[in-house]
Amino acid sequence: MLLQNAIADTLNNTEWAFALAECVHIGGFAVAVGSIALVDFRMLNLGLRRESSAQILRYTELWSVIALLFVVFSGIALFLSQTEIYRVNLIFPIKMYVLAAAVIYNFTVHRKVATMENPPPVLSKIVAMVSLLLWVSVVFGGIFTGFLV
Amino acid sequence: MPTAHSIQSIDFLTAFSESVLAYPIVLSIHLTCIALFGGMILMTNLRLLGLNFKGVTITEMVITLRPWKRVGVIVMIATGLLLATSEAEKYAPNPFFWTKMVILGLLGVHGLIFRPIIYNRTEELDRSPVIPTEVKVAAILSLVLWTAMFTMGRLIAYWEPN
Repeated sequence: MLLQNAIADTLNNTEWAFALAECVHIGGFAVAVGSIALVDFRMLNLGLRRESSAQILRYTELWSVIALLFVVFSGIALFLSQTEIYRVNLIFPIKMYVLAAAVIYNFTVHRKVATMENPPPVLSKIVAMVSLLLWVSVVFGGIFTGFLV
Repeated sequence: MPTAHSIQSIDFLTAFSESVLAYPIVLSIHLTCIALFGGMILMTNLRLLGLNFKGVTITEMVITLRPWKRVGVIVMIATGLLLATSEAEKYAPNPFFWTKMVILGLLGVHGLIFRPIIYNRTEELDRSPVIPTEVKVAAILSLVLWTAMFTMGRLIAYWEPN
């Protein structure tokens, strides 16, 4: 509670703190979603076809995990700075459920299929499409949280 | 700003900015592009800096991702144009908006300078034992400019006329 107040105070009273947290949030999701999308693009045969999707995953995984941590922590700070607004927001809880689904999916099904040796092409494609759909939905959820209060 | 007013008064743009759904949907698409193609730009630059994708050739990174980055930039500019013109009176006096436009111009200049010496000569780069300095400079400049781009984009919303 005390920590929450401290974060809220800083973000509400420092002119640039909220904006900075938002920029970290946007930069972070660009890196996280972008690096996961690169694996999806590979699984969909849309680029980097000389490597396997497992190799692309190996190159990008650390970046997506670190970026996700930045997104989550900046997101928590933004949330704590105006909890009342998010509590009554209709879209925000949906965004959180989709985010949870996207994260769990990414480290279970997506990871499993991306690292499979010879996955059926159809399976790879479906798994990649679902991954892109989930992450894009999270981005839409973030914007709509701000618009439909 | 009579010009700005007449731009945003175009029927289609007025309807767009007043729509409850159209504006946030287009903004979401704009941000989705930042995520999907910003990620590709970052990863390509990391490859040019020798920081990641070491087993992938520069040629493959640049050539296979190029069409997608092009699509991304076109969609980003199209949606951005819609967002800005529909609220032209708000954007016209906004210094962050114009800074963003200058950065966009600088990214164009970046392409003009570095395309012939780097992006169109990737096979030479792949044969070279070390990554030349100008390649690293180009990659760092690209990262700085794109970071400044999305930061300015976010700050546009914070500026208010006195």
